[in-house]
Amino acid sequence: MPEDPREGLEAVVALRRTLEALEAAQVENAFVLGWSWARIAEVLGVSKQAVHKKHAARIKARYPGEPPGRTRRNI
Amino acid sequence: MIFTRFARETRTSVEAAIEEARMLGHDSIGDEDLLLGILRADEGIAAESLSSLGVTLEDARDESERMTSEALSSVGISLEDLRRQAGDAFDVRIPADRRIPFSPRAKRALEQALGEARVLGDNRITSEHVLRGILRVDECTAVRMLARLGVSPATLEDRMSELRGRAAS
Repeated sequence: MPEDPREGLEAVVALRRTLEALEAAQVENAFVLGWSWARIAEVLGVSKQAVHKKHAARIKARYPGEPPGRTRRNI
Repeated sequence: MIFTRFARETRTSVEAAIEEARMLGHDSIGDEDLLLGILRADEGIAAESLSSLGVTLEDARDESERMTSEALSSVGISLEDLRRQAGDAFDVRIPADRRIPFSPRAKRALEQALGEARVLGDNRITSEHVLRGILRVDECTAVRMLARLGVSPATLEDRMSELRGRAAS
């Protein structure tokens, strides 16, 4: 435990913010490697719709067309 | 509503604060983001005081990130390692379609700004009032950030008063 409670609480805030970025990165990585939204959602323990809504637009903007390594076949 | 009494420079700096918060991945607009907004808008006595004391936007952004990184390491997490592991896709920015609220401390700073304008007999709320308002908020992140950059609230207030006196004469 950090000595100063404020430090500990701030760590929670920092972690919450970092978690979002980490999720974005991991979802993107899975998608680029050919994972389907359904499979990604399953591992995250949420619905396919939720993952798609949160990540699809961003990831598609980063990879116009199909990302490298991802083929129609494994979608 | 308080926003209607904002001077143009204040609107600019608050909009800039929202941008800064988004860029830094802050899920609420904190008092430190209001400070970053003032630096980014770079208008008026507040910005001039800060820059005359050697505070730049880049330094303040770096300091904000350093504070996040230190907070994480206090619970045993290395932001650097996370970044390295996640690679390019690790992006803290908050997407444009997600709304972010003002934090309670930021709201308090803006309320205090109103009081500061009243005390100084000014009709419009300028970024000087906002900066003074920030300094009134207990335990606020912006003040700690400024301290880390070597600027005390008293020094900053004195500098603003100085520049205000110069503008009036």
